[in-house]
Formats: sequence, structure tokens, C-alpha cells
Amino acid sequence: MKKFLKAMMAIGLSSMLMFGVGCGGDGTTDEATGEVDASGNTVIKIMFHVDAQSAEGKAYKQRIDAFNAAYKDQKIKASASYIARTAGAADYEQKLVGMQNEGSLPDIITFDAPNCASYANSGLIYDISDLVPQDVQDDFLSLNKYDGKLYGLPIQESSAGFFYNKNLFAQAGINVSGYTVENPWTFAQFKDVCAKLKAINVTPVDMRLDATKDETATYLLYPFIYAAGGEFLSEDGYTAKGYFDSAATQNGFQFLKDLVSSGYTSYAIGATDFFDGKVGMYLSSGWTIPDLDNKYPQKFPNRDSWGLLPYPKGAAAASATGSWSFAITDNHHEDKTAIKELLLWMTTVESSQTITNATGMIPARKSVENNYAAGSPESVLLTQLALTGRERPVTVGYPQFSTTFRNVIYEMKDKSVATVLSGKATNLQSELDKLKRN
Amino acid sequence: MLTSTIAIFVVLCLIFFAFVLKDVLLAKRRHKKYRLSTCASALLMGSPAIVLGFLFVLLPIVYSLAYAFTDFYLLRPNNIKFNSFENFKLMFEEIGQKGDLFNAIKNTFTFVIGVVPLQIGLALALAIFVNRQKRGVGIFKVCYFAPVVISLTVTSYLWLEILSPAETGILNMILGWFGAAPKDFLRDPDGAMWWIVLLSAWQGCGYQMLIFLSGLTNVRKELYEAASLDGANAWQQFIHVTCPGLRSTFVYVVVTVFIGACRVMTQPMLMTGYQSHTVTLSYYMYVQGYNYRWVGYSSAVALMMTIVIGTITYLQRRFLREKD
Amino acid sequence: MNRAHKKTILSAAYYVGGTVIALLFLFPLVYMLATSTKTESVYAADAGSLAMFLPNFKDLSTAFDNYKTIFTAYGIWRYAVNSVVYAAVVIVLNVLINGLAAYVMAKFDFPGKGFFNFIIMFLIVVPVETSIIPLYSIVKVLLGLKQTASVLAVILPSSISIFNIFLLMQFFEGIPKEYEEAARIDGAGNLRIFFSIVLPLSKPIIATVATFCFIGVWNDYLWPTMVLPYAEEGEWPLYPIQSALTSIKSIQGITTGEVMASLVVTSIPIFVVYVAAQKYIVQGFGTAGLKM
Repeated sequence: MKKFLKAMMAIGLSSMLMFGVGCGGDGTTDEATGEVDASGNTVIKIMFHVDAQSAEGKAYKQRIDAFNAAYKDQKIKASASYIARTAGAADYEQKLVGMQNEGSLPDIITFDAPNCASYANSGLIYDISDLVPQDVQDDFLSLNKYDGKLYGLPIQESSAGFFYNKNLFAQAGINVSGYTVENPWTFAQFKDVCAKLKAINVTPVDMRLDATKDETATYLLYPFIYAAGGEFLSEDGYTAKGYFDSAATQNGFQFLKDLVSSGYTSYAIGATDFFDGKVGMYLSSGWTIPDLDNKYPQKFPNRDSWGLLPYPKGAAAASATGSWSFAITDNHHEDKTAIKELLLWMTTVESSQTITNATGMIPARKSVENNYAAGSPESVLLTQLALTGRERPVTVGYPQFSTTFRNVIYEMKDKSVATVLSGKATNLQSELDKLKRN
Repeated sequence: MLTSTIAIFVVLCLIFFAFVLKDVLLAKRRHKKYRLSTCASALLMGSPAIVLGFLFVLLPIVYSLAYAFTDFYLLRPNNIKFNSFENFKLMFEEIGQKGDLFNAIKNTFTFVIGVVPLQIGLALALAIFVNRQKRGVGIFKVCYFAPVVISLTVTSYLWLEILSPAETGILNMILGWFGAAPKDFLRDPDGAMWWIVLLSAWQGCGYQMLIFLSGLTNVRKELYEAASLDGANAWQQFIHVTCPGLRSTFVYVVVTVFIGACRVMTQPMLMTGYQSHTVTLSYYMYVQGYNYRWVGYSSAVALMMTIVIGTITYLQRRFLREKD
Repeated sequence: MNRAHKKTILSAAYYVGGTVIALLFLFPLVYMLATSTKTESVYAADAGSLAMFLPNFKDLSTAFDNYKTIFTAYGIWRYAVNSVVYAAVVIVLNVLINGLAAYVMAKFDFPGKGFFNFIIMFLIVVPVETSIIPLYSIVKVLLGLKQTASVLAVILPSSISIFNIFLLMQFFEGIPKEYEEAARIDGAGNLRIFFSIVLPLSKPIIATVATFCFIGVWNDYLWPTMVLPYAEEGEWPLYPIQSALTSIKSIQGITTGEVMASLVVTSIPIFVVYVAAQKYIVQGFGTAGLKM
């Protein structure tokens, strides 16, 4: 009997302690989701994926402060938080999911546009089809659409191209002034330039084939498959068989592999080789522009020493697009009027200008005045986006697609493209089937 | 959440009751008595750990394992449905098709087979090496422990430079002096896992060195003296004095290194990314759970892994300890 | 004479061998230190040659620029203070809470002990990769994530460590019963025995547990980043140093040298703590003889 008493005591005590702590905490949760603060302002919460100390974070802060000043009389107040997204870990998304789980999602979030389909499909973000601003380029919106509805407004846009070392080009006697976005160079001309660079004993191009550990390789290389006339997935994003392993897709990957077998590029180029003047061209996104401007005074003292070329053209022209967007979350705040005000505020021409000035990326709105000199790297990226930009596949299984794409790039070094593609298409298909079943 | 928490709590209490009942009955048979005051103060002193351990360690783990029987998709945390053994069926399909789960099991197996003897061997050798009263030995100990202190990120980053496939990669540069062509070590489907074994053993062995070192200080000096009087050479002394003296330390090190090795994830993640020839079970779980958002499926893998590691650990303890 | 010669040669060989092995273990540290003194262009020029292990001789005037940037632009000292405070509190709680539990498990006889033994072994074996999602929900329901409570959310889950209970348990089992019995005859209660006999006798294992606690808290960034709120301007930030550093690393345009400089800054305290506690750590693992 005594033992039972003891056991009862054990349970009693630990449950008391447990629920004691539980009750103590309960009071604070309601307050956290309140929509109105002490002075009667409607509070709108917005969360950014960057550190507040970064140039981009400071630009957001500036726009939020301006919003709060402008809407003071209407008693609307924006409250921002900044959760740095770190490379590799999916911690930003984990935080989002945690917040969704306990019902404390902020009203507006930033998100990487390829995730649009899965977020929309899961009811994390809210349909804003009625908000389409007139002057956002249609192409920039397509990655933010799912099932015909609009879910996100792009903050800014990004594009990529071939940075090249003008000194090496001069040495090799290459003239690229004719290769503009309006009149892009062809796959054949691209190989031609590579051959000339190879003749002066430098590595012709760093295609970033070894950047397969994160999204980089997918983002930089997918346009080549489209350019070769290839496809990745069916319209609904659930079928890979017959698309991912089609003959045209195979041609796209084969073009990349041929560059390796001809000795124009390799999987073994040092990360800093281009910046040290050992490589002729370097495939990268717009954020390499400030690096070349500031960090390598020895090899790249000024803009006369480097330039930027667009993506080459195959059967079609295609270039990389897609960056982060704003979305309204589908939380329990039913009245979205004030929230929409803030969303529109963050994407005005003025906000767009402030933010892109800080990031060096491309404004998503046409009306943003740009003073890029013709032929400057920035203007190459901007025109390229407008003319040939093509988004990554819209699918709920985007992470699965991206991993598979990178696996193909990695494995085709030692195996034939056809073998790798048919195997990986089967794998991807079974992952997509898993998604469809749920 | 509250209902399920209470349910878990009740189930744990029932299991606890069963244990208590067993002990009480056994005690009765052996005419042993438990003292109430001892039990009460045990409970009182243990309660902070019980409460915190239940809330922050046990409960999350039980939840995460229970997800194995649900269709939990990361982005739908408020709509989790029970789907019985669906995830396990998927798992076996994946293994049957020789998909990535199959590779993950294979690679984890290779890693464990490689790293357990290598890391323990290195640790033991280093421990014997620094186990002497000489000036400056302390500095050696600090040096050998250094990789344990420096983050895995830095060490992986550095090993990438060493194993770089470029001609300028450090190892390829050295091979180049002997006229060998540059190799892509981490891409080699058969060799990559062994490089990861090597760098992991190098990175982790300092910790086990310390444990062995403490074990060595416990081996009585007289035994060595007696052995050398009997004319035993260094090797014989090692076999007949050191090894028996280190027995319990050895079991401890084997079991902990084994458990750690089964969970390897960071190294392949940083060295090659998600690739069939280096993906490990934990990494597979991570990608399925966080990148692909299949928390349910990922938990099923975790549950299987727990059962397998648990069984092997149990067997190891049984067989290695019994002979004491 | 010959014997003495032989001894000197052996001794010299020992030190040479030891130093060579030491270099094999030290090179990441050397690399980290060397790179932290380099600007991006020097780093690029040195990559792929043995110069990557040498400090920035090319441009000595810029050798400390990375450190200047880290300390002035990112202000990491405030985060370092946070980390030290978190670590101190966690160490005290960890030793007390786990120590009491381990003492009970090692020295007390009560029915149902096997249950706790089983739970401890189970928790050491089970993989924890997916448990952070439910943990977040639990913490949020229990504590909420307002300023003060969120600090508890960082401290409380790290204050319980099953592995530490396990280590402490092993050590306490090795303490002879006579000590306690003598104290009990003098009329000391359980708590007094724990504080005045058991803890003082267990300095080595406590130093061990404290060191690993410190390393754990100091290196953790994912969990604090998830539970701590963002600090408004003018407020003291709550993030520990690694959370701050990982967000610094995600800033576009940070150079490799700056990343390495920040890693040097964060590794130094761990190194110091480890060197200080090293003697105890060896004893801590040893005295009881570890059993699994």
C-alpha cells in the first residue's frame, strides 16, 4: 500500500509541476496574437528573411519607418522582425512552420518564389489576385502564381550571366561586342569563344558545375535546358516521366557535358580562380557585380577589366529569373485591408527603388527609373530579364526537383546523360507521386 | 496538444507502475524493504530533472516518433492524419527499388564499419603516446584535441581544400610531385565514404583520447612493474596489462562512438551535398523531413533507426560486458 | 654514457614525432588564423598553394582589418556577453538538476528505478533530428515567446541533459558509501550530503560536464535563433554569439577572411575553457571507470 502511495505522490507532484508551468505560460500567448496595441493602433506584423544589420535589412527598415509615419493618423502600425536565413539550414522555413503551428504567423512574410506552389497548396499564404499592380512585369509574376491565382508580389528580381575577363579576351583576340541581349550569341558561338580561350591556355569558362550543394547550380544552369528546347515537368507539376528524360532535355544536359569533354570547363575549378585571373568566363548571378567592383583590386581594378555577357541561345532563348517575394499569410486575421495596404506600400516604386539600391538587384517594376548606362552589366541583366527570362518549374515538389536537377549535374560527369536522366526521372517521379497521394 | 500530452504522460505512468510493481513483488520475495523516506526524497530530488526531461527531451522525441504513423507534411502542421503503416510501406518500397534510402543504409553501414575501429584505434594510440610524465606533453594533448574544439564547418571546409579535384588541391599537388594525375577523391563512388571516415576519425579522436587517457591512469603501476620483472616486452605488457585494464573504458568508447557514427550527417552534407554515394541515414532523414517536408516519413525512418541502433547497442553491451 | 645517449635520442625522437602529429591536428587552426588576416584578393591569390597556411605577408597593413570590421561594424561583443550569461546560468542549472537526479540514480534504492534506467538509455540512443518541431510547440505553449520568457526557452531545455546524468551517475557510483554514512550519523540530510560531500568530491566530473555544457551553449545557434525575438533598435539584443555570427555570415558581401576572423574570435573562449579544465576532464572520465 505504501508503495502505491509513493507512486501516486510521484504522479501528483510531477503533473502539478507540469501544469503549474503550463498555466503560468498560458496568459502570455493570447496577447502575442493581439491585433490592436495599447494606443489603439492596428498592428500589422511583417517578417523579413535577412539580418537587420545588412544593407537589405536596413532598406526594409527605412520603408517600414516611412509607412508608420504615413499611416500614423489612420492608426495602422507595422511591426517588423528580421530572421536571418542561413545557408544550408532550412531554419527560416522552420521558424515559419513553427509559427503556423501555434497560430502566430506574421501577417506578411517574405519567401523564395519557387516555394510559392507548395506554400499556396498548403494554405500557408493567401490569394491576392485582386491586387495585381499594373506595372510589374508579367514574367516576374508567373513564379508567384499557382493554380491561376496570384500569391506573391516580387520584392526584386535577379538574373545571371557570364562575367568575363576583358584582358584575357583581348589576349585571345575575342570580340564580343556583337553579342547583346537583343541579339544573343548562339551555343556554337559560345563554344567558339571557349576554343579561342583554350588556345591561350586558360580555362575558358567556370560553369559552376560543382555548385551542386545548394540551389546555386539549379538557378544558374536550368536556362540551358530550356534553351535547348527541353522541359522539366508537366503543366501541373506532378509528372516528370516523359519530360525530365525527354530527348530535348537530354540535349541540354549533353551541351553542358560536351563543354567538359572538350576541355572548356570542368568540375574542378577553384572557387576563386576567375577572380585570380585564371579563368576567362564565370557564370554567376547579379550579386557578383559588387564583388568585382570592390574586392579584387589586383585583377579587376575597374569596370574596363570585366564585362557581362547574356546566356547563349540554342533552339530558344532563356535566362535565369526568380528571387524573393512578399506574401500575405493565411492567418486568423480576417480583415486583410490594412495588411494589403502595407503589402502594396512595400512594393511601390519608391520602396522598390530603395531596396534595389541596397541590394544591387533588379527592380520588379517597370516604372522604377534606372540610370544604367547602355551595355553596363546592370542593363544587360535588366534587358535579359525582360526579353528572355524564364522561371523555374512551378511545382509543389520544387525542393525535390531542385535536388534531382543537381544530382544529374553531379552524376553526369562519369555516366552517360541518358542513363542518369532516366534513373533520376524515375526517382523524381516517385517523390512527386508521394506528394500527389497526400 | 494537451490531450495527447496527457495521454503520453498516462502511458508513461502505466509503464512506470509496471516497473514499480515488478520491483515490489521481487522485493517481497527477497524480504527486502524499501524505505518510504528514501523514496520520497528520491522523488523530491529527482523531480526537477523528471519535469524538465519529460517536457523538453522525452515529449518531443515521443511526438517525433509518433509522427511516423501520420501523414504530417511540414507545411500543414494543423492537419495531421493517422495513416497507420503507410510510411513504413513506402520505406520498404524505397529500399526494394534500391533508391536513396537503400544507399543511405549502405553508406551509413560503410561509415560505421570504418570509423569505429579507426577512430578508436587512433584515440588509443594517441592516449598511449601522451600517457607519460614528460615536459610539454600537456601541449601535445591540447594540440590533438584541437579539431574537436574547432567547429565541424571549418574542418570540413579545410578538407574540401585538401581533397579539391583541381590540380591546385593540396593532396593532388602532393600527388603531382610524384607524377600522378589529379583525382576527384570525393566523387569516387567507392572511395568518397572512406575519405569522410578518415576526416571524421581525425576530427573526433581527440575526445576519446582523453577518455582512454583517464582509463590508463587507472591501470595500476605495480602491474606494469610486475610484468616487466617477468620479462614481458612492451607489446606483451600492452596485451596483458593495458588491455584488460582498459576493458570498461573500451566498452564505453565503443558504444558511444558507435551511436555517434550511426548519426553522421554534417560531414557528407558539407563535403558533397546530397548525393547517392555519400548520403547517410540521418542526412536522408533531414532532407526528407525538412527539404521535402515529409515529417511523417522522416519520422518513420527515425523510428526504424532507433530500433536498430538500440538493438545493436543492447547486444554490444551484453556481449562486451558479460565477460567481466 | 651509452645509455644516456640512447635516452636523449629516444627523447628527441619522441618530441619530433609528437610535433609532427601535432601539426597534423593543428593545421585547420593554422589555416583559420592565416586566412583571418587576408583580404579577399590575397585569399584568392593564395588559394591552392601552401601559402594558404601562411598569414598575410603580401599586404601587412591590412592584416587586422577583418578583426576591426568584425568588432566595429557588427558589434559582436554584446552577443558574446549574452553567450557568457546563458552559459553561466545553464552550467549552474545543469550541474544542480542533473547532479541531483544522477545522485538519486546512483545512491538511492527505490522501486521503479529500472524504468528511469531504461528511459536514460533510450534517450541516449534515439536520433533527435526531427524533435525540434514538437519541442518548439511545447516551449511556445508553456512559456510563450515574449522577451523574458524566451530567455527561459533558451535556458531551460539546455539545462537538462540526459548524457550528463549518465556521466554524473557513473562518477557518483564510484564514491565510497562510507563518506555518506559518516555524514548521516552526524545527522546530515540528503540535500546536505549532496552539497557538502558529493559535489566537493566530484570536482573533476563537474568540470567535465561544465566544459561540455559551455561548448554546447556557446556553439548552439539554431534553437536560440528560433525562439528568441528580434531586438528592436535601442534594445539590448538577446541573441547569443553564434546566432549573431550565422546571420553575419549570411550577409552578402562578407569576405572569407571576415568569416574566419569571426570563427577565430568564437573559438578562442572554447579553447581557453578547455585548456583550463583539461586536467579535470581526464580525471572526470577516469575515477569511476566508465561503464556502458
